[in-house]
Amino acid sequence: MEHNQLVCEDARVLANEGVGPRLFVVSLESPRIAARLQPGQFVHLQVPGMPDHILRRPFSVFDCDPQAGTLDILYQDLGYGSHRMTDLCAGDVASQIGPVGHGWQAPTGTERALLIGGGVGAAPLFLHAKALLAAGVAVDVVLGAATKAALATYDAYTALLGHAPVVATDDGSFGFSGFCTQPAADLLAAHAYDHVACCGPEPLMRIVAQMAADAQVECQVSMERRMACGVGACLSCVVDTTDGKRRACVDGPVFESSKVVW
Amino acid sequence: MAQVNMAVNLGGLRMKNPVTVASGTFGAGQEYNDFVPVDELGAVTTKGVSLHGWEGNASPRIAETPSGMLNSIGLQNPGVQVMKDDYLAWLAPHDVPVIVNVSGHSMQEYVDVIEALDDDDRVDAYEINISCPNVDAGGMTFGTHVPSVEKVVGACRAATNKPMIVKLSPNVTDIAEIARAAEASGADAISLINTLLGMAIDAKRRKPVLARVVGGLSGPAVKPVALRMVWEVHKAVKVPLLGMGGIVTGTDAVEFMLAGATAVAVGTANFMNPTATHDVIEGIRRYCDDQGVTDVNELIGGLQC
Repeated sequence: MEHNQLVCEDARVLANEGVGPRLFVVSLESPRIAARLQPGQFVHLQVPGMPDHILRRPFSVFDCDPQAGTLDILYQDLGYGSHRMTDLCAGDVASQIGPVGHGWQAPTGTERALLIGGGVGAAPLFLHAKALLAAGVAVDVVLGAATKAALATYDAYTALLGHAPVVATDDGSFGFSGFCTQPAADLLAAHAYDHVACCGPEPLMRIVAQMAADAQVECQVSMERRMACGVGACLSCVVDTTDGKRRACVDGPVFESSKVVW
Repeated sequence: MAQVNMAVNLGGLRMKNPVTVASGTFGAGQEYNDFVPVDELGAVTTKGVSLHGWEGNASPRIAETPSGMLNSIGLQNPGVQVMKDDYLAWLAPHDVPVIVNVSGHSMQEYVDVIEALDDDDRVDAYEINISCPNVDAGGMTFGTHVPSVEKVVGACRAATNKPMIVKLSPNVTDIAEIARAAEASGADAISLINTLLGMAIDAKRRKPVLARVVGGLSGPAVKPVALRMVWEVHKAVKVPLLGMGGIVTGTDAVEFMLAGATAVAVGTANFMNPTATHDVIEGIRRYCDDQGVTDVNELIGGLQC
């Protein structure tokens, strides 16, 4: 496997805006990382202004413009670090390591793909959808969120696909009422897919992995773990797989779902 | 500006500068080579290796704590054969001494690991890990009682003529006593400190943060404890010390040398800043320049008190 060259660069904040309940998109100028980032890879970011919190935070990349040298991160104000992130202003600088990890790779010859994103898990699938569409693959997208307001990526997917993605909300405020596993199952039954990609809460990924296995469709999931180094050295972020404990940071975050021991 | 002599001798291991890495924070150098060419280091210290490899503990394995972190990795490693075939093979063309961190569940396993590696000239020294708090057998259980320290260190000494560093646990009442036992049993150098046993609790869930419940505390939070122990051990033994515990900057490293360390290891700081080792080396050099120190060895034990 070709060596994925990592860089550590000071990213400049271009914008940091609320896009939903406790949801934000931070746009960063990070030309060396943006130039080489592959769909599904992530950045390991040091949130400025909290020196007694020593660890970096891994963030998946929502969108990336290699020409402009920019990337967008969709994040949820969930813990101390992400809460501190919401204070970032244009002009602030944050050190980030990237592009980290093994991203999405649809099987050769894929003609139709199903992408399923739960919550902020919709974000790391966006560049995958973009790349698949550019390669002429038919892409169906299912997004799940708690409420309509939490569907922060809906407009971006609509613009990308040229039509609205399939949507499920837990409270029924928009689209299918319930979890996104049901519309995903309906699509899996209705079409012949070569590839399923899913990112979201682990129970969602586990269910989708089972559905894909039942339908005999290749399936990949993006795993999240507490992470320290983000470069493959510390073994903090391991995922149980049929090949043993593998590092989410560099062996993943994207794994073949059939290899994950749930 | 005079050229500073940065070279040190750690119990027979010649290092071009006093900076290595804390075992387990740096792989065998490969993962950080994009940031710091491994050749820049005074030595590379590998992740702990056991005879046939261990799976390590369940996740979550880490927790962030104020100015530090807890880990309970549990010495996950692929065993001696992979160490030789992959890690040492990758290190071979690099101009850097290699310290292999040796782990075992039993006294015999430590000896077996050394015997499996000892005729390999890519191994320059060993660090005997009798201080890991994250394994049920071996590790810290060997390093906290004088008789077992004597037994393990003595058995390892009999298995090799290469420089042998013994890594001590801070989770003891009297670290000087343990250090003296290691020295008397044949240690060429002593490294300290391993992590401090600690715990983090998620109050909302009423659960421990770590799957193993307890883990080892590292990072800037432990530096005062580490400095104190290096100083105590420096007064207790004649063998050189490899000091570590919360070193982030060149000044931190200098403090350890003043307390008595001949060399230092950068650990958790690698996670904070992937060029931490480089920055520490340059920081020591800058300190020497600023202070008119021409030989870094002048710093060792130079604390005035």
